Amino acid sequence: MACSYTHCGILALAGWLIAASALAESTPDDTKSSLLSNHRFSAVLESEAAYGTATDRADKMEFVLDPQWEYRWSEDTRVTGIARLYTEGFDHLEPGRLSQGEVSPNSRRLQLGDRTDIELREFYLRTRLWGTHLTLGKQQVVWGKADGLKLLDVVNPQNFREFILDNFDDSRIPLWTLNAEWSIGGGNLQLLWIPDRTYHKLPQTGGTFAFSSPLIVPQAPPGVAVNLRPLERPNNIATDSDIGMRFSKFWHGWDLTVNYLYHYADFPVFFQSLHLTPGGATVTVNPRYVRNHLIGGAFSNAFGNLTMRGEAIYNTDQFVLTRNRRDGDGVIKSGEIAYVLGLDWSGMQDTLVSAQLFQSWLLHPAGGIVRDTLDTTTTVLLRRHFLNETLDAEVLWLQSVNQGDGLIRPKISYELRDNLKIWTGFDLFYGDRNGLFGQFDRNDRLVIGMEMGI
Amino acid sequence: MRSHIQNLFIALFLLIPLSVSDVAAESLLSGEEIARRINARNEGEVVSRFITMAMTDRSGTERVRETKSLRKYFGKEKRTIIFYLSPSNIKDTAFLTYDYPEADRDDDQWLYLPAARKVRRISASDRGDYFLGTDFTYEDIRKETKVGIEDYSWKTLGEETIDGHRCFLVEEIPVNEKMAQELGYSKVQSWIDAEIWMVRQAKYWDVAGNPLKTLQVREITLIQDIWTAHQLSAENHKTGHKTVFTFKDVNYGQSVKDEMFTEDALRRGY
Repeated sequence: MACSYTHCGILALAGWLIAASALAESTPDDTKSSLLSNHRFSAVLESEAAYGTATDRADKMEFVLDPQWEYRWSEDTRVTGIARLYTEGFDHLEPGRLSQGEVSPNSRRLQLGDRTDIELREFYLRTRLWGTHLTLGKQQVVWGKADGLKLLDVVNPQNFREFILDNFDDSRIPLWTLNAEWSIGGGNLQLLWIPDRTYHKLPQTGGTFAFSSPLIVPQAPPGVAVNLRPLERPNNIATDSDIGMRFSKFWHGWDLTVNYLYHYADFPVFFQSLHLTPGGATVTVNPRYVRNHLIGGAFSNAFGNLTMRGEAIYNTDQFVLTRNRRDGDGVIKSGEIAYVLGLDWSGMQDTLVSAQLFQSWLLHPAGGIVRDTLDTTTTVLLRRHFLNETLDAEVLWLQSVNQGDGLIRPKISYELRDNLKIWTGFDLFYGDRNGLFGQFDRNDRLVIGMEMGI
Repeated sequence: MRSHIQNLFIALFLLIPLSVSDVAAESLLSGEEIARRINARNEGEVVSRFITMAMTDRSGTERVRETKSLRKYFGKEKRTIIFYLSPSNIKDTAFLTYDYPEADRDDDQWLYLPAARKVRRISASDRGDYFLGTDFTYEDIRKETKVGIEDYSWKTLGEETIDGHRCFLVEEIPVNEKMAQELGYSKVQSWIDAEIWMVRQAKYWDVAGNPLKTLQVREITLIQDIWTAHQLSAENHKTGHKTVFTFKDVNYGQSVKDEMFTEDALRRGY
């Protein structure tokens, strides 16, 4: 812990040194409008309730208050802080006290009882120094062009409290990051250093969206006891940091990026070992985070009414559960190539039709693995605006081709006033309970919500 | 002799209307020439301003967005970026467009949506779609007070006075059905100031030929020797919805870096 505090101190000192240099170099912006005083305060209050139509019970009644403060020193330099007060009426999504083992000590939420917590969501200095755009502090870094499912958008981990139903901006977990960007060769080079060792927040046992699919959770054979060991987290700030690089360029009408991320994959790998004792067989499960190199890229372009976009990645170290009992640790390691190709059609006024094809291909599959070598998911989004974009109607459909399961999300939202929006919709899961979506087949729900800008 | 004088008078009498007609033809410029003069009007290499977008529906409910807009010419290519500053629930939304001078080249457009924290490429053929709930189309936003010469056939109908200013009344018909569908108009009538070559008023008809909306340009003053409109209003006659853009702190002399007009600048925000 002392070591952790030392590192934090060094980071804070370095941050303040750079900030001080930037402040000294920048001149106050005296051309600003009266709209922009140096301090800006705002807040967004969001409330959403969900009623489980299959379980016939209220699943969720949450209130989220996100106050935001911004201090603007000059056109180029500002400090932004976003906090979050979260309270949940029923305590079904994250029941009881939060276990925050996946989260680094400096990023944890402060719990005020079982149902309420406070979190520093984002806190960063953004400045321009010696031709470099610097963003220092707790922040979100979003890569990629895909909607709904993630290939390149893996810099920040995610809270799966509501599986993938929560808005990604809300479910993404901001990380303490040094983010530097340069204009080079007509493009933009971004380098990331992420000392924050926080990973996916997986739903706790008993939570509404706790995982049960054998694609994710190892299944013990009948009669075999399970000994789940504590999660092993990387603990060295220097050697266990993530680093990333992205180069983006607009080239002959194409938006192109090349990405690289050396990181710990945010899902732990469940290494297993079988022990025979006089009392019977026991499987010991050691969840551990494993390093991976991600190499990829993204593109988009528009052709008449069509916009084409895509991402492709290569993961060097992907771990997949296996049912092969002769396998030593219950998982196999393989390279993975995955891509998403999306087409957006906007040939009709105020209407968007969007379709995506995701495919993931394991390069070194082994017999007994729980997933198919080639895994395919499709998405379709239909969205139409009415009444000068005050009324929106949309349907999002995600379908796993391999498992035959999926999720359908019809939604209507209406902007009642300038800063007040309300919505209602359904989250409808279907299919095999062993599938990623089908595991929540009993979790269909009716959702109503409101968002107010303050 | 008498008949010679008589013939001379007759000839003069016949010539007078011809001469008047020639003078009228000279003062009544062709539609294309008026369009060229509109587009030749100086609008500065760079401009920075705040725009208040006030939208009012038929029942009188008003929505107000505060934005910051920057525009810069790169040669003949015009780049515009708009950052939303308030209200807080749509703050940080941003729009970027590259408007190319080549008639056969589609413009490029991007939209940053903070809820997704992603920049989305937008099809350039969304020209007739309304821009983020306003009564201005994406094309209107891109062109500002300029016009798409190649998109229409232009015809000067006459002269009229708007707010005490002499204006040419010009009728614009999209060059073909496809263009009409793309722009969302079957006909436009514009009143163009004959002194400063700025549209002061325009009426639009939808693709079915029904009256669609009226544009009014007000509070035109000289800023740093450039004629600048401080208020644009568009009223949709079909929906009763109205949008008023009010421009503040217009500055043509501010230094704006080239990198402000990139996808990464959209993400970084204002």
